[in-house]
Amino acid sequence: MATPTRRAQHRDVAGLPKRRKEIPKVPTGIAGLDEVLRGGLPAGRMTLLNGGAGSGKSLMGLQCLLHGVGAGEPGILVLFEERAAAVRQNAWSLGWDLASLERDNRLYLMDARLNPEVVISGDFSIKGLLAILDQQVKAMRARRIVIDAVDTLLHLYDSPMRERHELYALHEWLLDRGLTTIMTVKTVPQEEAPSRYAFLDFMADCVIHVDQRVTAQVATRRLRVIKYRGSGYGRNEYPFIISENGINVIPITSNVLQHRPPGPKVSSGQARLDDILAGGYKRGTSILIVGTAGAGKTTLACVFAQAACLRGERVLYLNFEESPESMVSNMLSPGLALQPLIKTGRLVVQSYLPEAMGVEEHLFHALKALDVVQPQHVVVDAISACQRMGSEHAAFDYLMRVLNACKERGITCIYLNQATGLDIVAEISGIGFSIIDTVILLRHLPIDGAMKRQLVVMKSRGSKHSEQFHEFQITDRGIDLVKA
Amino acid sequence: MKARRHEGGRSATAGGETYVFRLFVAGNDSNSTQARENLARLCEEHLKGRHEIKTVDVLKDAETARKHHVLVTPTLILIKPHPKVTVLGNLGDTRQVLLALRLTGDGR
Repeated sequence: MATPTRRAQHRDVAGLPKRRKEIPKVPTGIAGLDEVLRGGLPAGRMTLLNGGAGSGKSLMGLQCLLHGVGAGEPGILVLFEERAAAVRQNAWSLGWDLASLERDNRLYLMDARLNPEVVISGDFSIKGLLAILDQQVKAMRARRIVIDAVDTLLHLYDSPMRERHELYALHEWLLDRGLTTIMTVKTVPQEEAPSRYAFLDFMADCVIHVDQRVTAQVATRRLRVIKYRGSGYGRNEYPFIISENGINVIPITSNVLQHRPPGPKVSSGQARLDDILAGGYKRGTSILIVGTAGAGKTTLACVFAQAACLRGERVLYLNFEESPESMVSNMLSPGLALQPLIKTGRLVVQSYLPEAMGVEEHLFHALKALDVVQPQHVVVDAISACQRMGSEHAAFDYLMRVLNACKERGITCIYLNQATGLDIVAEISGIGFSIIDTVILLRHLPIDGAMKRQLVVMKSRGSKHSEQFHEFQITDRGIDLVKA
Repeated sequence: MKARRHEGGRSATAGGETYVFRLFVAGNDSNSTQARENLARLCEEHLKGRHEIKTVDVLKDAETARKHHVLVTPTLILIKPHPKVTVLGNLGDTRQVLLALRLTGDGR
């Protein structure tokens, strides 16, 4: 009261003290998801996870539960639909040994499936379930609980009012026990039951929707946070995949550019080209090699890769065009010996069929390879094939995110692009010319009754490059360049 | 008012075979109270002198509830005669309960 003016500064319009405080959270242990949720799920409160059949919600719940168990928070999994034995078995396929955690009393699977032969006569409540759970929570000091397929329980009631009432009772019970809860519920297509479980969304403090959809014959999984009381959250749809170690949410495309500045020059592997580029490529920058089929893009990239590996650096080669074996054998003709480099682990070639999986799965593999291989340089051969991951947009997404990941890590990124038409330059701009630091164009030209290859550097950010066209020859000893 | 007639030639419960029930309730909430009363009345009318009811309060004995996989209350389990029958709810619909317990007869 002594200093009312100063105090007023700390009060907002309602006269309440302004003390912004994030609500307590517990991490899900799913890295990308914790980023989206700005730290994790609301501690001691309920999160609703809804999605269609096979959308991955039960797995997400289990993974979060197990993360809690690992962090010293015993957990209970209530199964209204699946058999406990089946859950154990499925978890095994991901390398999770539930039975041993159950033996240690850190995890409890409660089979809450109802015998389909029971007869219902008159009203009832889920107090039996709560009594059993109550005992269990106390006995193992449980902190987290996943209630899987709660809709199956609700189906027992033929009145929406009773459904709601029982859910509220359950919610109250969970809050009283201070349990961090994930409740999964199957969503049916909107037309069928527009608002049957809408009240659940209101009840929960955090609502996450997961789905699986098919675009251009490629299935993709997405999640979106619908609401999160008392917390900010990422508001986009985020792709995720189910891999051999569970759910992986693809890290968010950073809206803050944290690219490292370009490093010193590094040899392209060809002395003459180094001259043309005024010393070579710059480390940690992006290079686009564009050209018609057979113009020598792969050869140029492999010359670079070989030189880098021989210097003792590591190169990750993501090949969407051919298998490692066929690439190795094709490069023997211009005199490149890649096999020994692969053997030493300096050159890592990963071949994928673009249409084999969705863009997020490709991205997952690429980002994982960056972490595992720790390369100084990455080659993507060829970005034109990435459209087959689903759509032009998907390809763009993939390429941008791989490029960003490389730039954040100071990795040189070489993209090869196959141009189809004669007007090659126009096609370059389509993939985002401005984010590329160096552009090299390879083309075929009929000269003196023969097809000749030509190379020109169209752009090289921050360095004085030659603007001359050079004749580009592929010999059995690599590449030769002479002024055209 | 005796359960003597059976469809499909099911084994006779006549001759005074004792019905053993276990009724799971949750304290004295209204459904539980109703279930107790409904069961008592039904036994009085249809199984006079040949029934045995064990009532379990899940709020006091969760272990037995777990053993019998009782998730909702009230739950009535017919232990004997076989086969076992489970009826959920306050047993308000007498006809349905009788049907479930194979006690339909001239009482309908």
